[in-house]
Amino acid sequence: MGTGSLVQKSSSAQREEDRVLVHRCRSGDKEAFARLMRRHERQIYNFTYRMLGSEEEAEDLTQDIFVAAYRGIKGFRGEAKFSTWLYRIALNQARNRIKYLSRRNFFAKQKSRAGPAWKISSENLEALPDSAPTPEQWTMTRDLAAQVQQCLNQLPHAARQILILRDVQGFSYEELSQMLSLNLGTVKSRLHRARIALQECLTNRLE
Amino acid sequence: MDCLKYHAQFTAYLDGDLQPEERKAMESHLKECLLCYRKWHSLQKMQAVLSRLPDLDPPEHLSGLVMARLRERQFRQSFWPVAITPRWLPLGVGVAALLSVFLIIWQLVPSPLPVPAPADQKRMITRTGPSEQSVATVKTTERNLGSTGPVMVLKVKDFSRVNQQLEAMLRAFSQSMAQERESIRPVRSSSARLIDVQVPGQQFQDLIRELHKMGHLDPGQLDSQEFSSPRQTKAISIRIIVVSNGKDTEVLRQVHTAPNQE
Repeated sequence: MGTGSLVQKSSSAQREEDRVLVHRCRSGDKEAFARLMRRHERQIYNFTYRMLGSEEEAEDLTQDIFVAAYRGIKGFRGEAKFSTWLYRIALNQARNRIKYLSRRNFFAKQKSRAGPAWKISSENLEALPDSAPTPEQWTMTRDLAAQVQQCLNQLPHAARQILILRDVQGFSYEELSQMLSLNLGTVKSRLHRARIALQECLTNRLE
Repeated sequence: MDCLKYHAQFTAYLDGDLQPEERKAMESHLKECLLCYRKWHSLQKMQAVLSRLPDLDPPEHLSGLVMARLRERQFRQSFWPVAITPRWLPLGVGVAALLSVFLIIWQLVPSPLPVPAPADQKRMITRTGPSEQSVATVKTTERNLGSTGPVMVLKVKDFSRVNQQLEAMLRAFSQSMAQERESIRPVRSSSARLIDVQVPGQQFQDLIRELHKMGHLDPGQLDSQEFSSPRQTKAISIRIIVVSNGKDTEVLRQVHTAPNQE
C-alpha cells in the first residue's frame, strides 16, 4: 500500500541503529553504508519515482542521492534524524534533476507517451473505497493512480514535493518543516495550495 | 463569505489540525452547505488516493550499483587527488579552450623582441661604419642558421685582430658562448667565423654600444628595431658572423647554404 505506512515515526531503536551505522560510515565502513542504504532505499526510491514519474529516472536519481549521501556523511553531525538529512539531499537532487529534465521536455514527452487520458467520471472518485478495495475497485484505483501521477507531474516542483512528502509518504508537519527549512505556517499554507492545485487538475481530468 | 473561510480551513481539518471549536463549526457548516461538503469530500478522497498510491519495489540491483559507483570513485581517487567526474569535464574543457584562445592571442600580439622575418623576406641593413675598416650588416633571417635571435654580420678588414677583440668583449658579456661552429667549416676556412652568444636581456643594449665603440656598428643602427630588446627578457641569443671585407658575398652565400646542425 502507500508509502505512508513505510514512514512510520521512526522509533528510538531505529534511530539509534541509524546513528550507530552513520558513526561506522564516518570511519569509512562501506558495509555500514550498504546497510543504511538498504534501510532507506525503498522510501527514497518511491519518493523519486513520484517526483519524476519514471522508474528509470527514479533509479538513476536514487543512485545519485546515495552517492551524494556517502560523500557528505562526514558532514552529518547527527542533529537531525538521518532520514531527515537524507531527504534534504534527495530534495536538492530531485530539484536539480527536474530542472534538467524540464529543459529537455521530459515531462511533456511522458504525457504524450501516456496516450489519451483514461476518462473516469467524478462519481468514480466519490465511490473510491475507504477500506481495502475489491479487485474491480483496485483496477479503478490503479487507473486513477495513473491520473494522479500525471497531475503530479504537471504541478510546480515545490507543490509536488510537499504533496508527496505529506500525503503520499506521510511525514509530519514538523518533519516537513525540517526537511524543507520552512516554518510550520509556511508548510501548512504551501500544502493547502498544493492540494487545491492537485484537486483542480484532477477535477478537470475527471469531468 | 463563510464558505471561503471554511475552504481555507479544509487542509487543517483534513489533517486534524483544527481547534475543537473550529472543528465543531466546520462539521456543522458541512452538514448545512452541500457545495462545501462536496468540495471537502472530493479533497478527502483525493488524499485517500494519494496515501494509497501503489508502492514500488526498488530494483534489486540498486544498492549493488551504488556500492559499485562508490568503489569506482575510491579507485579513481587513489590516482587523482580530486575526483574527475563527468560533472567537471565541461569546466575542464572550458578552461582548456580559454587557455588556447589566450595562447593564440599571445602569439598574434607583436612581440617587442626582435622577431626574425620569414625566410623569404630577408631584410638587410647595411651601413658604413665610422671607421673605414668595418661595415656592419644586420640580417633578420633564420634560414639555415638555426638561430632564434638576431644575426649580425660583421665585415672587417683585419680579421684576426678583430676576432681577438670581439671574443674578449663577448666573453665579458655572455652567459654562455658557444665555440665556433665546426659544421660551417668552409666559412671558417675562408676567413669567416660564426659565433653564437647568449647575453642577459638587460645587457643587450650595452653589447650593441660596445660593438659600436669597436667600430663594428653604425650609430644609426642603435635605433633600429633589430637592436631593441625588452629589459625583462632573461637572455637573448645572438649569432655573429665575422667575415673579411671583400669576401662577404661569397661567405654569406656559404652561410646561407650550409646545413643547419643545431
